[in-house]
Amino acid sequence: MSAIEAHGLGKSFGGRPACRDVSFAVERGEVFGFLGPNGAGKTTTLRMLAGLFAPDAGTARVAGCEIAPGRPGGPELRARVGLLTESPGFYDRLTARENLVHFARLQRAKEPVRRSEELLERFALRDHADRPFAELSRGMKQKLAIARALVHDPEVIFLDEPTVGLDPAATREVRNVIAELAAEHATIVLCTHHLDEVERVCSRAAFIAGRLVAVHEIRRETLLRIELAAPFQPDGVRGLCRSLRLDGNTLLIEPGAEVPDIVAALVGAGARIVAVAPHRDPLEDAWLELLAEAGGP
Amino acid sequence: MIRVILRKELLELRRSPVLLLSMISLPATVVVVPVALLAWMVHAAPEQALAFIQEIYGLRSSDPAAAGLAAIVGRNWLPMFLVLPIFLPIMLASQSIGGERERRTLEPLLAAPVSTASIILGKSLAALLPALAITWISAALFCLGIDAVAGQRVLPDAAWIFGVLVLTPLFALFGNAAAVVVSSRVLDSRAAQNLAATTVLPLLALLVVQLAGRIALGPRFYLGLAAGVAAADLALIALAVRLFDRERLLTRWR
Repeated sequence: MSAIEAHGLGKSFGGRPACRDVSFAVERGEVFGFLGPNGAGKTTTLRMLAGLFAPDAGTARVAGCEIAPGRPGGPELRARVGLLTESPGFYDRLTARENLVHFARLQRAKEPVRRSEELLERFALRDHADRPFAELSRGMKQKLAIARALVHDPEVIFLDEPTVGLDPAATREVRNVIAELAAEHATIVLCTHHLDEVERVCSRAAFIAGRLVAVHEIRRETLLRIELAAPFQPDGVRGLCRSLRLDGNTLLIEPGAEVPDIVAALVGAGARIVAVAPHRDPLEDAWLELLAEAGGP
Repeated sequence: MIRVILRKELLELRRSPVLLLSMISLPATVVVVPVALLAWMVHAAPEQALAFIQEIYGLRSSDPAAAGLAAIVGRNWLPMFLVLPIFLPIMLASQSIGGERERRTLEPLLAAPVSTASIILGKSLAALLPALAITWISAALFCLGIDAVAGQRVLPDAAWIFGVLVLTPLFALFGNAAAVVVSSRVLDSRAAQNLAATTVLPLLALLVVQLAGRIALGPRFYLGLAAGVAAADLALIALAVRLFDRERLLTRWR
């Protein structure tokens, strides 16, 4: 059974639709990206899935709990999911430890003190655990917020814009934490507008722009990018490629043979090669194409 | 869950010296000013002061001057100790929901598996307990001060005991519930505090009228007041739970 199944979810505020027709499924252990520009309805969808409020339309099942219009899932759902909110949201005068233990108790964590200590250790926050939250760096605050989302061992983790407003060092720290969680096969929904973040850890991503535009498979295989000095017809090497795309003087190839063999075949066929480099799945292109098809948010 | 919320709220209060100081300043004034005034009157011209005050309130007493003065000042000052338990919880409870929203801690709180009733009860207790403790300590100090100046035991009398033990919790509950209701509907905690504080005005008016000698509040009045405030408390608590709309709190800021 999927960890999340959403069917036609929709929500309006004061008659203005925040999102509509959102349908997707997330498998257990999958890291699923949720992409969209600001105001596209990502946070609204996440809040519905985390049991904060009920949809106006559609249904969903999250960690075995049903969500439907008028039925937001309730405490049972909120106990089974972990939510990293856009802002860390801790009490400034309480220490990092006091904050984490407080939320561990609210989240009904088993052994809240022990579990909090475990997470402080894991996220290298133990040395700062007795400092008031207000005095922590932005990166530490965000790591503490991720620790809170994990403190009750949730079945599904929702991360809403985990690196927004962070400096590059803190961004790297937080991304490493997410990559660690992904490696542990946690079920994660990562909501962001940073495409590279999604490319790095997600297996699939939903594009949302008011409504769900598409779900995109993120390819891990490395493509080969070959820059040519002049236009060239590559028909002679098609047999060595799983796929081949020519875009001006650039060849994008999914190799079906060893790279030196492909390069040798191209040179043998008269191609003048300027550069050969690996090329990852360009999520950005897909995103822009989809947005254009959808007519924007 | 109520205990978890209560513990956190009290811990935050302990770490807020400015808030604690502002909570203590009003009760300190309410205790010190009348006792000092009484001490000055007793020291300066007790007979004339007693005659003047007896004339204002239309009273006659065979007590010695100091005791007579103390009894009049003490009894007429009781409504001020009914204002305190309304005002003090308002200072805390008005920050309960609005403050969480301002500090962006509301969403993590609402994302936890905690019921609305637990949130409201936990936060209400955190506002009520310190407010009642401060009110009762102030009332005890006031009685001790009045008795010391009078040179005999004048307070607490039956009205005082009823007022402090029965009316102050009811008034504290009223102030708290009013603040929670307002706090969950307005933009920020300061606006909530100002709006909720207007509930003190009728009582202050009553105090002024009584101090001016225009009315004398007796046992029947205080009993009726207790019944009225208890009914208002129940209505306000029900309203507070009903108005606590998670979706509205997270998405509407005005």
